[in-house]
Amino acid sequence: MAMFGGAYNTIAFDAAQCDGCGDCMTACATVKTGTVDKTRSRIQIVDSADDGFELALCRQCGDPKCVTVCPAGALTKDGASGVIDWNAAKCVDCLLCTVGCAYAGIALDAGSGHVAKCDTCDGAPACVPACPHGALKYITTSRIYNEVGDWEDLFAPGLAGCQGCNTELLMRHTLRRVGPDTVLATPPGCVPGMGSVGFNGTTGTKVPVFHPLLTNTAAMLAGIKRQYKRVGREVNALAIAGDGGASDVGFQSLSGAAERNEQMLFMVVDNEGYMNTGMQRSSCTPYGAWTSTTPVGQGSGGMPSQGKTQDAKNLPLIMVNHRCEYVATASTAYMEDLYDKLDRALEASKRGFAYLHVYSPCTTGWRFPTNQNMEVARKAVETNFVMLWEYNPRDGLQFTRPVDDPLPVTDYLKAMGRFRHLSPDQISHIQSKVVENLAFVKQMAHRQSA
Amino acid sequence: MTTATLEKSPQAKPAKQKVMLVEGNEAAALGVALARPDMVAVYPITPQSSLVEHVAKLIADGRMDADIVDAEGEHSVLSVLQGGALAGARTYTATCGPGLAFMFEPYFRTSGMRLPIVMSIVTRDGITPQSVWGGHQDAMTVREVGWVQVYCETVQEVLDTTIMAFKIAEHHDVMLPVNVCLDGNYLSYGTSRVELPEQAEVDAFMGVKDVNWHVALDPLRPMAVDPLTGGSSGRGPSTFVRYRKGQCRGMQNSLRVIEDIHEEWAQRFGRRFAPLVEEYRLEGADYAIMTLGSMTGAAKDAIDEARDAGRRVGLIKIKTFSPFPVDALMKSLDKVQAVGVVDRSVGFRWNCGPMYQETMGVLYKLGRHVPSMSFIGGLAGADITVGHFHRVIEATEKLLSNPAPTEPVWLNEKD
Amino acid sequence: MEQTKYLVVGSSHAALEAVTAIRMHDATGSLTLLTRDPHLPYSPTVLPYVVSGRSAPDGIFLRDEKFFADQGVQLKRGTALKALHTERNAAELADGSEIAYEKILLATGASPAIPPIPGIDTVSYHVLRTLDDATRLNAAIKQSKQAVVLGAGLVGMHAAENLVKVGAGVTVVEMAKQLTDGYFDAIAAGLIEKAFTDNGARILTGSRVVKLAPSAASFGTPATPATPGVTLTLESGATLEADLLLVATGVKPNMDYLVGSPVEHDRGILVSDTMQSSVANVWSAGDCAQAKGFFTDDKVMNAILPDAAEQGRIAGMAMAGDSGLKKYPGGVPLNTYHFFGRHAISVGSSKVPEGAEVLTRFDEVSGRYLKAIFKNGCLLGIYGVNEFFDGGVMCQLILRRIDLSPVKERFLAEPMTVGREIMSKTWR
Repeated sequence: MAMFGGAYNTIAFDAAQCDGCGDCMTACATVKTGTVDKTRSRIQIVDSADDGFELALCRQCGDPKCVTVCPAGALTKDGASGVIDWNAAKCVDCLLCTVGCAYAGIALDAGSGHVAKCDTCDGAPACVPACPHGALKYITTSRIYNEVGDWEDLFAPGLAGCQGCNTELLMRHTLRRVGPDTVLATPPGCVPGMGSVGFNGTTGTKVPVFHPLLTNTAAMLAGIKRQYKRVGREVNALAIAGDGGASDVGFQSLSGAAERNEQMLFMVVDNEGYMNTGMQRSSCTPYGAWTSTTPVGQGSGGMPSQGKTQDAKNLPLIMVNHRCEYVATASTAYMEDLYDKLDRALEASKRGFAYLHVYSPCTTGWRFPTNQNMEVARKAVETNFVMLWEYNPRDGLQFTRPVDDPLPVTDYLKAMGRFRHLSPDQISHIQSKVVENLAFVKQMAHRQSA
Repeated sequence: MTTATLEKSPQAKPAKQKVMLVEGNEAAALGVALARPDMVAVYPITPQSSLVEHVAKLIADGRMDADIVDAEGEHSVLSVLQGGALAGARTYTATCGPGLAFMFEPYFRTSGMRLPIVMSIVTRDGITPQSVWGGHQDAMTVREVGWVQVYCETVQEVLDTTIMAFKIAEHHDVMLPVNVCLDGNYLSYGTSRVELPEQAEVDAFMGVKDVNWHVALDPLRPMAVDPLTGGSSGRGPSTFVRYRKGQCRGMQNSLRVIEDIHEEWAQRFGRRFAPLVEEYRLEGADYAIMTLGSMTGAAKDAIDEARDAGRRVGLIKIKTFSPFPVDALMKSLDKVQAVGVVDRSVGFRWNCGPMYQETMGVLYKLGRHVPSMSFIGGLAGADITVGHFHRVIEATEKLLSNPAPTEPVWLNEKD
Repeated sequence: MEQTKYLVVGSSHAALEAVTAIRMHDATGSLTLLTRDPHLPYSPTVLPYVVSGRSAPDGIFLRDEKFFADQGVQLKRGTALKALHTERNAAELADGSEIAYEKILLATGASPAIPPIPGIDTVSYHVLRTLDDATRLNAAIKQSKQAVVLGAGLVGMHAAENLVKVGAGVTVVEMAKQLTDGYFDAIAAGLIEKAFTDNGARILTGSRVVKLAPSAASFGTPATPATPGVTLTLESGATLEADLLLVATGVKPNMDYLVGSPVEHDRGILVSDTMQSSVANVWSAGDCAQAKGFFTDDKVMNAILPDAAEQGRIAGMAMAGDSGLKKYPGGVPLNTYHFFGRHAISVGSSKVPEGAEVLTRFDEVSGRYLKAIFKNGCLLGIYGVNEFFDGGVMCQLILRRIDLSPVKERFLAEPMTVGREIMSKTWR
C-alpha cells in the first residue's frame, strides 16, 4: 500500500464536449466484458435532467475509501500506477466498497455478480480514443509532478508574487528542471521583484543568482558561460527575464547573443508590459490594451484614448529569424507542453542559444480575478490569440498544440479588464490580426518544414 | 622629446628583453597578451582604434590564449566581461569616446561590483562637435564613477602600465576596475622603440590569478550577487552605505598599491615610472606647470629650454588621475609659489580644465594662497607644441606678480 | 519502561486508519500498535467468508509486517491491554509490563455478547469474532448435520447460509419479530427469510431460548471423536437438538481495562467530535467508542465498518495535531448484506421520524424492493433488496442534506442514476 503516493495519470472528462453518444461506454464494455452492454461499462455517462451529461468513474483516489472499508484486503492502491486494483480472488462480494465510495467509482456489475471498477486499461484506457468529441482525455502530466517532486526546489520559500500570479510556478518549475549547476540571471522586473535575488544581503535561491541590468542579461550570461566553458566546467546559464527588457531596451544584447549562438537558455516571461514598475506599455503589449501609459480616456478633439494603438512585436518569431538552436512559445496552462519544451530548450542550450517565450497572464496588470490565471492563459491559446509552437533549424517551425477550431477572440478579451473599453472596430482589428498572425505562422511552419 | 625618468635599479637583474618598434596600440596589445587574460571583448565603434585588432591577431596567431567575444556593442562588451569576471576570468577590453559613453550603464556598475576589469581608453574628445581625434574628454567625463584611471606618457609606459593595471585591479585591497588611458593618435598611433618583457618574468610578477574570491557567480559557492539594498522595510541604507564606503576605501587603498606595484615593476624590469605624481626639474623652481598624458614630452622639452634660459620653472605630471593623488600632489605643490595647469579637456561647470579644478582643491588644502591658472589645449587632436608650453610657462610666471586671470587660456584657439 | 509517542490499541479498521492518519502528519514520531490478537490485522467483517471457506485464512490480512516496518510502527501482537493509568499516561499490559505513552487510542473493538441463558455454561458453543473463532467454526460446520444459530443479525445469518450450503439442517432462533432487525425493514427481512426457507433453513423469529443443556445424543462420526450436542428449550416449550450451536446475539465493547480509570464510558467509551475521551491524551474509535449519531445528538453505538474507519482517521489526525482535521459529522448506519446471490443495502436511518415521508417500491416477481425515507425533501435513509445503488453516494446525499424534492419521483424510479447525476454536479 502506497501511503504517500506521487501523482498519477488520470482520465479527464470535459462535460462541455460530451454529447452523450455513449461510445466510451460501449468501448469499455467491449474491452472489459466482451459485450456491448453499456450498463456494464465501468465509465458511466449520465444524462442529466437539466442538460448536458454527468460522469461516474473511479477517480483512483489518493486516499481511497473503497480500500479503507474493504474487509477482505481485495482492493489495493498500486503505488506505481496509482490505480486501485481489485483482486477477484480476495473479494467476498460484500459491496462495502460501494458504500465507501462517494463517487460511484466502484459498483456492482450485475452481469458478473461482482463489483467492477476502472483500471485505466493498464495506462491505455479504451474509452478515451473511443470518444469522438474529445470529451475524454488521458492526462499524463503526472510525470511532471513526480519528476519535479524529486528535484530540489532551488528557490527560497515564500516568493512575494502578486496573488494569482503564475510566474512563481514557472520560476520554481524551471529552476528545478535546470538544476543546481546553474547561474541564474533575473533582470529587473517581476522575477527579482518577487525576491529571486533577495534583499539586503539575503538570497532568494540556492543557485548563484544576480540582477543583470535590464539591458545586458544575455551579454552577462554569455560571459559567465564562456568562462566556465573555457575552464571545462558544465554550468547552465539561465535567464528568466520579462518581455519589456527583452523586447525593448535589452533587445540588442539578446539579439547579439542569439546571433553569436551563445550557449544559454533565455526564458522570457511575457506579461505584455512593464508590470513590476506599474503596468506600463512594452512593445509586447497587444493592440487595444489598457496600460498605465496607454490609458483609456476621453482624449481631445473627439479622439478618445482607447489603449495601445499599435500591435505587439512578435518577439519569438524575431528570435526564429536568428536561427537559434531552439525557439518555442509556451503557456502555463499547458504544462506538459511547457515541460517538453523546457527539456528541449535545456538540451539545445548546451549547443547554443535557446529561447523560450512563456505567455504569462498578469492578474494585477490585466485586471482579472486572481483565480483565473490558468483560465486566461488557456483562453489565449484556445482563441489563437497566442500560438504554441517550437522551432529548431533542423525541423523548422511546428505547432505543438494547434487549435483548429478556435474560439472567437472575444472569449479571451472579455476575460479581463484591460480590454473592457474596446470598441467593435478595435475588436474586429484584433480578430483580424489573430487570423493574420495564424496565417503567417502557418506559412512559416509550412515553408520551414517543407 | 624627452622620456620619462628612467633609472636602472642597481638590484634589478637585467632581464633579457626583446626590443621592438611598435605603435602604442600594439604596445597595449602586447601588454595585454603578457598579462594572460581569459577573455577579451571588443566592438569597433567609430572612432575605432587598432588596439583590439592587434589583440585579435595575437589570439588568431596563437600568441595569446583568450576567448575573444565580438560583441554587438560596447554596452555588451563590458557586460560580457562582467559575466566573465564573476565566473573567475581575467578580462580586458578597450574603447573610447562614444563607445565609452554607450557602455556607461554597465561601466558604473563594474566598480560597484568590484570587478577587476582592465580597459584601455584610447582617449578621444567628446562629441559633439563631431570629431574623431584625440583628447581627454571621454575619460574625464567618467572620472567620478569609481574606476582607477591612469594616464600614460610614452608607448613603453603604455605597455608596462597595461600589465601593471591587472595586478593593481586584482590586488585584494583594491578589487576595482582600471582604465589605462593612452592619448588617441599621439600614443595610439605613435611608433616608438619598446622593450618587451619575457613572459615568464611577467608570469612571476603577476602571481596567481584570483579575481572572484570576493564576488562570484559559481554553483560551487552559490550567492546572490548584488541583491536589492535599502528600503523602508529592510535594514535601511546601512547595507548600501557599507558597500559604498568600502568602494571608496578600495580607491584610497589603490594609491598605496599603485606605488608598490610600480616599485616592484622597477625592481623586476628595470623601468621606473612615477606611480602617482612625477616631478620634473622641480627642485629650485619658483613655479610649476602641470601636465597629463603624452603632452608631457613636449612640456619637458620646454621646461629644459626655459631652465636653460634661467627661468625657475619645473613640471608636475599626474599619472594617476583617479583616485586623485591629493597627498602626493600636495607635497609637490608645496615646493612652488604658482602653478599653471594644462588640461586636454574641459570642465563645463567651472569653466576650466578638470585637472585644474582638482588641483584647486589640493591648493586649498595647502593652507596658503598659491596663484594658479587653467590652460586648455590639445582638443580634437590638436598638437600642444613646445611653443605652446613656452606660452604656458610665461603666463604662469606672471602669476608670481600679477593677479590670476579668471578665464582659462585656450591654447589652440588660433591654430 | 517502554515509551512511545503514540500508542494505538487494537488492530482492525479504526486502529489502522489512525496509524495512517498519524503517519500522514507525523512521519517519525514513535508509534506502537498493540493488539491482543496473535495474528496480523484483519477485519471481523471478513470472518463469515473464512467460515465458508471462500477466504483463505492467510489471505485476509489488511497489512503485512513490511507495512509496519516501512512506517516505523512497532507491532506488538498477542498482548492485551489490561489497565489504563491515565494519571501517569501509562498502559499496563496483560503480561505485566507497562508502556508510557504521550497519546493513546483505544480501538479495542468488541466481543460477542453472551446471553445469560440458564445452562449456557454447561454446553459447547461457537462464537465468531476472531480469526481463531472462524477457523474453528469452519472446521465444525463441515461436520454439522443439525445446527442452531442464536441471533439473526448479519453474523448469524452469514453463518446460517454457510451451514445451509454445506448441507446441514439449520435453525435460526431470533428473539425479535423479524430477521436482521435494525438493519432492514419487515419487507426486506421477509425477502431474506424467504431466501433462507427456500434453501431449507428454518427461521424461528419471536422465539426465545430459556434453557440449554448437554444433549444425550452424540453426533460423532467415525472419522472424528464424538461431539457432545446441545438441547435447546424454547419459551414455547419446544426443544431443538443441535450438534453445533452458534451464539451470535450481538457484541459488547471491549473496555474492561477501564476499571478504576476516570475515562467516562456508558455503553461504550464516550468521545467528542474529535474522538477524544473525557481524559487528556486518550482517544477512542470504532466498535468500542460511543460517539455522536448523525440523526441524533445523543451518543450512540454505531458498530459498523465504514464508521470505524472514519472515527479512526479523525482520532489519528487529532492525536497528530493535523490542522486538516474536520469534526466527526455523526455516525450514519451503512450496511450491505449478500445472501444466496442476492444483496441488500441499507444506508441511513431506519427510524421514521414524525413528519417524514416513506416511499416504497416493491416488485414481488423480481424480488426488487426499494424504500426511501425523506424529511423536508432530504433523504434520511434508503434500503434496497436486489436494487443496486451507490451506497456511498446515498450517504453523501444524507450527510449534505441535499434537497431532493425536485427529483423525488425520478429518484425513487432510478436511485442509482439520479444519485450519480447529483453527485457529478454537486461534489465532482
